[in-house]
Amino acid sequence: MLRTQLTTSRAAARRLYSSRAVSQAFANSCRRAPLVGPSLVASSPATRVGTRSAPARGYAEAAKFSRAKPHMNIGTIGHVDHGKTTLTAAITKVLSSHGGAKFTDYAQIDKAPEEKARGITINSAHVEYETENRHYGHIDCPGHADYIKNMITGAAQMDGAIIVVSATDGQMPQTREHLLLARQVGIKKLVVFINKVDQISDPEMLELVDMEMRDLLSTYNYDGDNTPIVMGSALAALDGRDPEIGANKIEELVKACDEWLELPPRDLEKPFLMPVEDVFSISGRGTVATGRVERGVATKGSEVEIVGLGAHFKTTLTGIEMFHKELDRGEAGDNMGALLRGVKREQVRRGQVIIAPGSMKPVTKFQAQIYILTKDEGGRYTPFMDNYRPQLFLRTADITVGLHWPEGTVDASEKMVMPGDNVEMVCDLVHDVAAEVGSRFTLREGGKTIGTGIVTKILA
Amino acid sequence: MLRTRQATVSALRFYSTAASEKPSLKLVAELRKRTEVSITKAREALGASGNDVDAALEWLQKDLAVSGAKKAAKVEGRTAGEGLIGVSVLSGGTGAQKGTGRGGVRAAMVELNCETDFVARNELFGKLLADIAHTAAFIAETDTNSPSYLQPMPLDLLHDAPLLSQTAPAQSRSTSTVGSAIRDTISKVGEKISLQRVAVVAREPIPLTQSTLGLRLATYSHGSVNLPSQGRIASLALLTLRSPRLSTLLTTDAFREELEKVERSLARQIVGFDTRSIRAPDGTTEGTALYDQPFMMMAGAPSDDSVRGVLDRWARAQQLVLDTDGTDTGGLEVLEFEKWTVGETVPSS
Repeated sequence: MLRTQLTTSRAAARRLYSSRAVSQAFANSCRRAPLVGPSLVASSPATRVGTRSAPARGYAEAAKFSRAKPHMNIGTIGHVDHGKTTLTAAITKVLSSHGGAKFTDYAQIDKAPEEKARGITINSAHVEYETENRHYGHIDCPGHADYIKNMITGAAQMDGAIIVVSATDGQMPQTREHLLLARQVGIKKLVVFINKVDQISDPEMLELVDMEMRDLLSTYNYDGDNTPIVMGSALAALDGRDPEIGANKIEELVKACDEWLELPPRDLEKPFLMPVEDVFSISGRGTVATGRVERGVATKGSEVEIVGLGAHFKTTLTGIEMFHKELDRGEAGDNMGALLRGVKREQVRRGQVIIAPGSMKPVTKFQAQIYILTKDEGGRYTPFMDNYRPQLFLRTADITVGLHWPEGTVDASEKMVMPGDNVEMVCDLVHDVAAEVGSRFTLREGGKTIGTGIVTKILA
Repeated sequence: MLRTRQATVSALRFYSTAASEKPSLKLVAELRKRTEVSITKAREALGASGNDVDAALEWLQKDLAVSGAKKAAKVEGRTAGEGLIGVSVLSGGTGAQKGTGRGGVRAAMVELNCETDFVARNELFGKLLADIAHTAAFIAETDTNSPSYLQPMPLDLLHDAPLLSQTAPAQSRSTSTVGSAIRDTISKVGEKISLQRVAVVAREPIPLTQSTLGLRLATYSHGSVNLPSQGRIASLALLTLRSPRLSTLLTTDAFREELEKVERSLARQIVGFDTRSIRAPDGTTEGTALYDQPFMMMAGAPSDDSVRGVLDRWARAQQLVLDTDGTDTGGLEVLEFEKWTVGETVPSS
């Protein structure tokens, strides 16, 4: 998909180039042949005008292919008064001037409080915009617990974040908590926007805000030296005044996001993984495992590994089938059957995974961030304590798990977990299963889902 | 307007060569490290006191009273629905202090609200709450004629009380009251912070003539971030101990340990379950009545048996009650409790 986009822009560039060449040829010919009629000379600037409008046309064409741009979820984190909403509105306004967004004003963005009152904590990505290279879904991050819950349950995801700090206040005590949240949810890179610079008369103070911010970023293991810090005024951009601190700075910020924040790898680009749902023995052919490919691509004849529930061995994918037809290649999203060479039916079971060799390891113990559903969400009515043992469902695997407090927790035997809590706990599995950091799972007990979680650290 | 801005921009560019006669960056940074005031404020303070950090600190102290009040007024209309509940126990009751054998009860539970949980998770906020809870417990006076032991404390009374530091009692901060300390924090974090409710209990030690009776306190805070005594849900319960053998039992470490364990378990049970009363009205069993709930939060031995049943068994096992003595009505009882959840009483605007 990226490739198509690239070709388009390349084509546009080529067109641009060639038209310039034409006009150049014209100009040259004009110069060389001064006797040619004035009508031809007049046509030369006309071609130039055409050249100039070409980038706009090229952009419009790219906008049509907006789906082809890689998508990224981005969030704003910052103090309530530092202008997160204004910044969001300003971004949509500035980008709408060249077709990259629909202007979303303050009131529309700020509908979030009502939603919060109705119990919807974060309306994920109700603001969207696009730059030349990417499409962004934009969310606001109102609170720590709210966001963590949304992240665990999969309702919202930030792949990158903009930390908003007002130049008048500088970083505040809670800015540390903002960075801690970003760390906790696995955001690797940040962009900082120093807002309200028009209210600061002394540029030295901006220097200080910059310095302090870089210091703090480094303290929380971010790349403080290289993190882009953009200083501007979101309000100026929104009001359409002072472009040098307004619109231009917003453009700079968006560019910084494009360049600094890393795109999450897409499913097709990740190593192959298919959870085994069912296993058949087909006479004359061998053992076939079926399932829905979660990510990656596998081709017929490639080597794969089967991992989980005590198994850990390699084999070859001798055939791929979908709808009783043979395929050469299976990819993310496909419901396929995998014919495995030299594997007995008993060797493969539901709950195992077929993966690109070495891309995942069987684990029996990991740390995870877990959200426990409230009784209104269909979860437990009562709290539980250390060594609670529900069933853990990870892809197609179903394993009994013991939940413990992480090592070093004070009074671990006396701490409880209540419905509605999000907690970091150690999961001790009775069987091994293929898992890695970022794998999602649910916890069930007596036929109902009581919690959901994300693996944060592999322990054994 | 535009011109001045251009001037600013060019000044920014030539910053490194410009001579600095204004408050130096270093001093502003230093002042901010020490006080966490905003950049603008720090600069103003240094400007007003001729680049002297100590003078600037003093200036800030004076200014905080004014600007803090201004800031507090500005955020007054907002909703502060997040926050923490802090519990401070100064005296845990009979036998709580090793050696003395009997002591009074003195404790406070305080709910302090702010706007986002980012602030609630910050150390500054936690420390402020700990100090306020400590202060409330320290100055608590309860009406002995009232039928209930746990009583609300008037918020105005606490607002005007001098703030006592929990961590450093000797440190004299006589200038700041609870109210002004809250305002200081408001000006630092820029969010509305408000004292929502306070409950206190304060009783003198039970006289020697009644040595078969004891009062004890139990607390549990759930969802703590920095300090274990603070959380999003908390309980404070007052328990009675009755036994002819009480004074002897309280001298043994083993009994005290067991007692503390069951106390913590009770407080946890109150928090963990939907507990609204101690006993259900006669003849009914309700899940919201503590004594009818299965005692699943009992440390080490979660039980499906009711709290009532477990407590009775516990009293016999610890020989508070002797089986042979039919007329004895001793044991451990929950007398009163308070259970609070952050934000549950905050009116939403």
